[in-house]
Amino acid sequence: MEATKIIDSRGAACPGPITDLAKAYRNSKVGDVLELWATDKGVKADTQAWATKTGNEILEVKEDPDKIVVRIKINKR
Amino acid sequence: MGSKLSIILFSGTTDKIISAGVLSQAAAAMGSEVNIFVTFWGLLSFTKGEKKMVLPKEFENMGPALAQGMAKEHVKSWYEMIKEAKEMGAKVYACSMACGVMNIKKEDLDPIVDDMVGAATFLQQAEGGQTLFI
Repeated sequence: MEATKIIDSRGAACPGPITDLAKAYRNSKVGDVLELWATDKGVKADTQAWATKTGNEILEVKEDPDKIVVRIKINKR
Repeated sequence: MGSKLSIILFSGTTDKIISAGVLSQAAAAMGSEVNIFVTFWGLLSFTKGEKKMVLPKEFENMGPALAQGMAKEHVKSWYEMIKEAKEMGAKVYACSMACGVMNIKKEDLDPIVDDMVGAATFLQQAEGGQTLFI
Protein backbone atom coordinates (compact mmCIF):
# COMPACT_ATOMS: atom_id res chain seq x y z
CA MET A 1 0.00 0.00 0.00
CA GLU A 2 1.45 3.34 -0.98
CA ALA A 3 1.86 6.03 1.67
CA THR A 4 -0.59 8.91 1.44
CA LYS A 5 1.73 11.13 3.41
CA ILE A 6 5.32 10.99 4.65
CA ILE A 7 5.99 12.58 8.02
CA ASP A 8 9.65 13.38 8.50
CA SER A 9 10.39 13.55 12.24
CA ARG A 10 14.05 12.62 11.99
CA GLY A 11 16.09 14.34 14.68
CA ALA A 12 13.08 15.16 16.86
CA ALA A 13 13.15 13.84 20.43
CA CYS A 14 10.18 12.21 22.18
CA PRO A 15 7.34 13.27 22.12
CA GLY A 16 8.08 15.06 18.83
CA PRO A 17 7.44 12.17 16.40
CA ILE A 18 4.15 11.16 18.02
CA THR A 19 3.05 14.82 17.96
CA ASP A 20 3.89 15.10 14.26
CA LEU A 21 1.89 11.91 13.71
CA ALA A 22 -1.08 13.27 15.68
CA LYS A 23 -1.03 16.46 13.61
CA ALA A 24 -0.96 14.56 10.33
CA TYR A 25 -3.76 12.36 11.67
CA ARG A 26 -5.97 15.44 12.10
CA ASN A 27 -5.80 16.07 8.36
CA SER A 28 -6.12 12.45 7.31
CA LYS A 29 -9.06 10.37 6.23
CA VAL A 30 -10.03 6.71 6.62
CA GLY A 31 -7.95 4.55 4.30
CA ASP A 32 -4.91 6.84 4.32
CA VAL A 33 -1.50 5.37 5.04
CA LEU A 34 0.78 7.65 7.04
CA GLU A 35 4.49 6.94 6.92
CA LEU A 36 6.47 8.26 9.86
CA TRP A 37 10.24 8.66 9.67
CA ALA A 38 12.00 9.03 13.01
CA THR A 39 15.30 8.56 14.77
CA ASP A 40 13.98 8.57 18.36
CA LYS A 41 14.31 5.02 19.69
CA GLY A 42 10.99 5.17 21.52
CA VAL A 43 9.03 5.52 18.32
CA LYS A 44 8.39 1.81 17.72
CA ALA A 45 6.62 1.29 21.05
CA ASP A 46 5.05 4.75 21.00
CA THR A 47 3.43 4.43 17.58
CA GLN A 48 2.02 1.05 18.64
CA ALA A 49 0.57 2.65 21.78
CA TRP A 50 -0.80 5.53 19.72
CA ALA A 51 -2.42 3.19 17.20
CA THR A 52 -4.02 1.07 19.93
CA LYS A 53 -5.34 4.18 21.64
CA THR A 54 -6.71 5.84 18.54
CA GLY A 55 -8.02 2.68 16.84
CA ASN A 56 -5.62 2.69 13.91
CA GLU A 57 -3.30 0.02 12.57
CA ILE A 58 0.45 -0.40 12.27
CA LEU A 59 1.13 -1.97 8.88
CA GLU A 60 4.90 -2.13 9.09
CA VAL A 61 7.86 -1.12 11.21
CA LYS A 62 11.16 -1.06 9.38
CA GLU A 63 14.61 -0.16 10.64
CA ASP A 64 16.75 1.53 8.02
CA PRO A 65 20.37 2.35 8.86
CA ASP A 66 19.51 6.03 9.25
CA LYS A 67 15.90 5.95 10.45
CA ILE A 68 12.95 3.97 11.74
CA VAL A 69 10.03 3.85 9.32
CA VAL A 70 6.52 3.15 10.64
CA ARG A 71 3.57 2.82 8.31
CA ILE A 72 0.17 3.41 9.87
CA LYS A 73 -3.17 2.74 8.26
CA ILE A 74 -5.94 5.10 9.30
CA ASN A 75 -9.03 3.06 10.14
CA LYS A 76 -10.74 5.51 12.39
CA ARG A 77 -11.26 9.24 12.26
CA MET B 1 -11.47 9.17 22.74
CA GLY B 2 -12.63 9.67 26.28
CA SER B 3 -9.38 9.51 28.24
CA LYS B 4 -7.98 12.30 30.32
CA LEU B 5 -4.72 13.32 31.98
CA SER B 6 -4.64 15.88 34.75
CA ILE B 7 -1.38 17.18 36.14
CA ILE B 8 -0.92 19.10 39.35
CA LEU B 9 2.29 20.98 38.66
CA PHE B 10 3.55 21.95 42.11
CA SER B 11 7.33 21.92 41.64
CA GLY B 12 9.34 24.93 40.59
CA THR B 13 12.44 23.19 39.28
CA THR B 14 12.93 22.95 35.55
CA ASP B 15 13.65 19.20 35.54
CA LYS B 16 10.18 18.44 36.88
CA ILE B 17 8.48 21.03 34.70
CA ILE B 18 10.10 19.34 31.67
CA SER B 19 8.50 16.05 32.76
CA ALA B 20 5.13 17.76 32.95
CA GLY B 21 5.73 19.22 29.48
CA VAL B 22 6.67 15.87 27.91
CA LEU B 23 3.69 14.05 29.42
CA SER B 24 1.25 16.82 28.49
CA GLN B 25 2.41 16.90 24.89
CA ALA B 26 2.45 13.09 24.60
CA ALA B 27 -1.02 12.74 26.15
CA ALA B 28 -2.45 15.42 23.90
CA ALA B 29 -0.92 13.66 20.88
CA MET B 30 -2.59 10.42 22.04
CA GLY B 31 -5.90 12.21 21.84
CA SER B 32 -6.41 12.62 25.58
CA GLU B 33 -7.94 15.62 27.23
CA VAL B 34 -5.16 17.36 29.19
CA ASN B 35 -5.50 19.71 32.14
CA ILE B 36 -2.53 21.22 33.94
CA PHE B 37 -3.18 22.82 37.31
CA VAL B 38 -0.18 24.97 38.24
CA THR B 39 0.25 25.71 41.91
CA PHE B 40 2.84 26.91 44.45
CA TRP B 41 6.45 26.88 43.16
CA GLY B 42 5.28 25.86 39.73
CA LEU B 43 3.63 29.26 39.39
CA LEU B 44 7.00 31.01 39.45
CA SER B 45 7.63 29.72 35.92
CA PHE B 46 4.15 30.64 34.67
CA THR B 47 4.35 34.37 35.17
CA LYS B 48 5.29 36.69 32.32
CA GLY B 49 8.96 37.11 31.53
CA GLU B 50 12.06 35.04 30.95
CA LYS B 51 11.97 31.35 31.89
CA LYS B 52 15.17 30.59 33.77
CA MET B 53 16.55 27.12 34.39
CA VAL B 54 16.21 26.22 38.07
CA LEU B 55 17.68 22.91 39.24
CA PRO B 56 17.47 21.17 42.61
CA LYS B 57 20.49 21.93 44.83
CA GLU B 58 21.95 18.41 44.57
CA PHE B 59 22.02 18.53 40.75
CA GLU B 60 22.85 22.19 40.28
CA ASN B 61 26.32 21.54 38.84
CA MET B 62 24.77 19.39 36.10
CA GLY B 63 22.99 22.38 34.54
CA PRO B 64 25.40 22.95 31.64
CA ALA B 65 25.60 19.22 30.81
CA LEU B 66 21.81 18.99 30.86
CA ALA B 67 21.43 22.02 28.59
CA GLN B 68 24.03 20.54 26.24
CA GLY B 69 22.36 17.12 26.19
CA MET B 70 18.98 18.65 25.46
CA ALA B 71 20.39 20.70 22.61
CA LYS B 72 22.13 17.63 21.17
CA GLU B 73 18.94 15.57 21.28
CA HIS B 74 16.83 18.49 20.02
CA VAL B 75 14.61 18.34 23.08
CA LYS B 76 12.33 21.35 23.03
CA SER B 77 11.89 23.62 26.03
CA TRP B 78 9.10 22.77 28.46
CA TYR B 79 7.36 25.96 27.34
CA GLU B 80 7.35 24.80 23.71
CA MET B 81 6.05 21.39 24.80
CA ILE B 82 3.14 22.90 26.72
CA LYS B 83 2.41 25.17 23.78
CA GLU B 84 2.31 22.11 21.50
CA ALA B 85 -0.01 20.37 23.96
CA LYS B 86 -2.26 23.42 24.03
CA GLU B 87 -2.35 23.48 20.28
CA MET B 88 -3.86 19.99 20.55
CA GLY B 89 -6.41 21.09 23.15
CA ALA B 90 -4.61 21.06 26.53
CA LYS B 91 -5.59 23.63 29.12
CA VAL B 92 -3.43 25.34 31.74
CA TYR B 93 -4.91 26.67 34.96
CA ALA B 94 -3.32 28.65 37.75
CA CYS B 95 -4.36 27.89 41.32
CA SER B 96 -6.22 30.91 42.65
CA MET B 97 -5.26 30.35 46.28
CA ALA B 98 -1.52 30.00 45.53
CA CYS B 99 -1.68 33.07 43.27
CA GLY B 100 -3.16 35.00 46.17
CA VAL B 101 -0.51 33.74 48.59
CA MET B 102 2.28 34.64 46.17
CA ASN B 103 0.67 37.93 45.18
CA ILE B 104 0.38 36.91 41.52
CA LYS B 105 -2.43 38.68 39.70
CA LYS B 106 -4.22 37.47 36.60
CA GLU B 107 -2.37 40.02 34.48
CA ASP B 108 0.99 38.76 35.81
CA LEU B 109 0.39 35.28 34.40
CA ASP B 110 2.01 34.14 31.16
CA PRO B 111 -0.42 34.00 28.21
CA ILE B 112 0.07 30.21 28.22
CA VAL B 113 -2.25 30.12 31.26
CA ASP B 114 -5.92 29.84 30.27
CA ASP B 115 -7.54 30.80 33.54
CA MET B 116 -7.20 31.11 37.29
CA VAL B 117 -9.36 28.54 39.07
CA GLY B 118 -9.85 26.91 42.44
CA ALA B 119 -9.16 23.37 43.60
CA ALA B 120 -12.78 22.32 43.23
CA THR B 121 -12.79 23.19 39.52
CA PHE B 122 -9.63 21.19 38.95
CA LEU B 123 -10.87 18.16 40.90
CA GLN B 124 -14.11 18.21 38.99
CA GLN B 125 -12.20 18.36 35.69
CA ALA B 126 -9.84 15.57 36.76
CA GLU B 127 -12.59 13.19 37.86
CA GLY B 128 -12.53 9.87 36.04
CA GLY B 129 -9.10 10.32 34.48
CA GLN B 130 -5.45 9.86 35.44
CA THR B 131 -3.98 12.44 37.78
CA LEU B 132 -0.29 13.12 38.36
CA PHE B 133 1.27 15.27 41.06
CA ILE B 134 4.56 16.63 39.82
